[in-house]
Amino acid sequence: MESKDVVIIGGGITGLSTAYYLAKEGLRNIVVIEKSYLGSGSTGRCGTGIRQQFTTREHIILMRESVKLWKEWENNLPKSVHFRQGGYLWLLKESEMDAYREYVRLQNILGVNSRIIGKDDVKLIVPDINTEGIAGASWCPSDGNAYPFDTIDALRIALKRFGILIRQFEEVKEIKVKNGIIQQVVTDKETFNTHFVVDAAGFGARKVARMVGVDLPLKLYRHQIAVSEPVKVFLEPMVVKGELYFTQTYRGRIIGGTDLNEQPTESLSSTDEFLPQFANEILSVLPTISSLNVMRQWAGFYVVTPDHHPILGGTDLPGFLLGVGFSGHGFMLGPVVGKLLATYIMHGTMYLPEANNLDLRRFRSGCLIQEKAVIG
Amino acid sequence: MNKKGAGMREIKSHPILHFDRGGQVEFSFEGKRITAYQSETVAMALYRNGINVFSESSKLHRPRGMFCAIGKCSSCMMRVNGVPNVRTCILPVRSNMQVERQHGLGEKPSGVVHFLSPVEREETVTIIGGGPAGLSAAIVFAENGVKPLVIEQNPLLGGQLIKQTHKFFGSKNEGAGIRGIKIAKEMIQKVENLGIPTLARSSAFGFYPETDTLGVFKENQYIKVHSNYYLFATGAAERMIPFEGNDLPGVFGAGAAQTMMNIFGIKPGNRVLMVGAGNVGLIISYQLLQAGVEVAGVVEAAPRIGGYFVHAAKLRRFGVPILTSTTIKRAIGVARVEKAVTVSLDDKFNEIPNSEKEWGIDTVCLSTGLIPSVTLLAQAGCKMKYSPYLSGYVPIRNKNLMTTKENIFIAGDVSGVEEASTAILEGQLAAYSILKKMGKDAALQIDETRSELEKLRSGPFGTKILKGLEEVQYE
Repeated sequence: MESKDVVIIGGGITGLSTAYYLAKEGLRNIVVIEKSYLGSGSTGRCGTGIRQQFTTREHIILMRESVKLWKEWENNLPKSVHFRQGGYLWLLKESEMDAYREYVRLQNILGVNSRIIGKDDVKLIVPDINTEGIAGASWCPSDGNAYPFDTIDALRIALKRFGILIRQFEEVKEIKVKNGIIQQVVTDKETFNTHFVVDAAGFGARKVARMVGVDLPLKLYRHQIAVSEPVKVFLEPMVVKGELYFTQTYRGRIIGGTDLNEQPTESLSSTDEFLPQFANEILSVLPTISSLNVMRQWAGFYVVTPDHHPILGGTDLPGFLLGVGFSGHGFMLGPVVGKLLATYIMHGTMYLPEANNLDLRRFRSGCLIQEKAVIG
Repeated sequence: MNKKGAGMREIKSHPILHFDRGGQVEFSFEGKRITAYQSETVAMALYRNGINVFSESSKLHRPRGMFCAIGKCSSCMMRVNGVPNVRTCILPVRSNMQVERQHGLGEKPSGVVHFLSPVEREETVTIIGGGPAGLSAAIVFAENGVKPLVIEQNPLLGGQLIKQTHKFFGSKNEGAGIRGIKIAKEMIQKVENLGIPTLARSSAFGFYPETDTLGVFKENQYIKVHSNYYLFATGAAERMIPFEGNDLPGVFGAGAAQTMMNIFGIKPGNRVLMVGAGNVGLIISYQLLQAGVEVAGVVEAAPRIGGYFVHAAKLRRFGVPILTSTTIKRAIGVARVEKAVTVSLDDKFNEIPNSEKEWGIDTVCLSTGLIPSVTLLAQAGCKMKYSPYLSGYVPIRNKNLMTTKENIFIAGDVSGVEEASTAILEGQLAAYSILKKMGKDAALQIDETRSELEKLRSGPFGTKILKGLEEVQYE
């Protein structure tokens, strides 16, 4: 039976990033366990966006750091993750302008270079945009996107070079605890002795936490995405309007989604309502893509907490750590969350103090931090 | 060059077919005027006018031409009237169209399309695919008082039958001794006479299992189809095999060559190397000869000819060599195939050193098998299984062609690649099975159709199919 210093459950960006930063800290005797293939959950289903335009101190500071780390990943990982700072162009109606002015003020104080721009400037950034009914936009040129599959693959190669064990198509069935200390992680194929477990299981996180009696306040909301056939890249920013968002990947496909206002569900099926609604919304903003064909449509989960912030760090069970509940922002937060959890494991403290406000205790104490800018 | 090309590629006389090409229209290709026939698709008009290269590949900028000619691949994509990525092989010509080559990925579209608002259709039975299986099913439904909706991606109904000029074997009921084109004509006529509603040039693009809805797109209209029963008769697509230069213009699926010759009256080339000596390869080689095209030879990787003896014998009579244990290694050319190299194989399919042979040809046709078009069925959640005898992943089904979902049935090549006469019978069987489910008395017809199918499969070519069916049939 193998002994591991840390067992990470979940082979999405959160789990792999945590393993990557643990390895960089020198901890190599660890394992990542993924019940399907790497990136098969929310990472591979995400909308690719990476933004700092949030409305709370915690989110803004974590994302400012994450953008810095995305740049490092682009330069240092064994292959490109296609991180591109094309900006987030958040289109606003007149009635929304004042609120976003406030958000931008907070973002600026915390060192993010967002600004409010007028209608004409919107046209300068994306000439094809239909600005009817739009007063202006909140624009942050250092926001951007990256390519999920290349990111997963780049991390996989990096971990392989560090000699880190990755198990795919292997499911954790039980976490054995004795006298309040984690002893073993049992999968459907083998058992690992360990005292440290990271729950990075995405939409399976609640099930994993239940194995050790930890109840997580998570709800699953299905969100759908469509991609078009490829054309030469002409759209670098992520464009947001209400619930609608879209950009173009480096491979030329327009990717985007919107919200159908669904109740929580366990189903990951695509629905017939999504495409017409998405098409209507996107064509009202960017009519010139009307003749592009849709290539694929799929669904993923936003794993949502009551305050739309993730749950990071320790629990009442020593050695059981959480990187869960990203509420639709798990991909963009991946680098910083991995680094935070790794430093927490190695040094017992989060290296960004704001992250301490995001642990599980806030739901007991009622100190929630409400995020107002949620898309899709 | 254009004029000469047009003369060279147009079939002037044919022993079986007469081409009713319709009047002439003009459109623009790269700023030059092209004369086309009204009945042609854009790709056919270009090819008849001597144009081989339709686009450049996106990474290595290699020349690309048409490959499948039936809208199943993406080899013929061009920019048409400012719209990128248009499959020109299934786009009818219109006068004054602006057609341009794509260099790598297409540029973003320039015009704006105005979509019609989505419509919903309530149907009893929906048939996806208007080939032999789909049409024979549609006829059975209509004759039993149920009007099905037929959805077809191509502009024409009839599937691959409309280009099959050869006579069919098998039993009289399924048209033995009659040419495929005639069977198709009769079926299409019947569908029209019975007033069966059909949507041609319509893509069934997605099946949504939560609501059992079929998403269909026709021109600028999104159609949501809600149907009590679905019959998938989506056919199959040609299999590409790997060899150097397999993307050069002038490398075609054998079915594409057949489409060019027998529907549009266009010669795919002057001198052809056929890869694959199954029935498709042998029959199409003979049809190439009928169209006045030279067939340099047929190569077959297996140690023996796969198709019927009579088809092989016809070719040998014309002096066409059929080389077994031989496969294509390389196609060579700058903007089009100019030469090909084949190589001999040992009994383990390994290349024998120094056995290369060079062929002076301008066209390579691949008849290396078909793959069932099953993606919609997989989306629907039907359980699938891989069977090499049936040519790929196919849905698990019962003897009456019901999949693991009670409202979804299959017929024709999508259930396992076979041939048109069995496709016709499967279409009928699936239709009777659905009628029975609907409470109609169809038990007798089911038994009859099943025994007809058994008879057709009793020959040596049926053993493979029967083996496959053992793997994928339940109950």
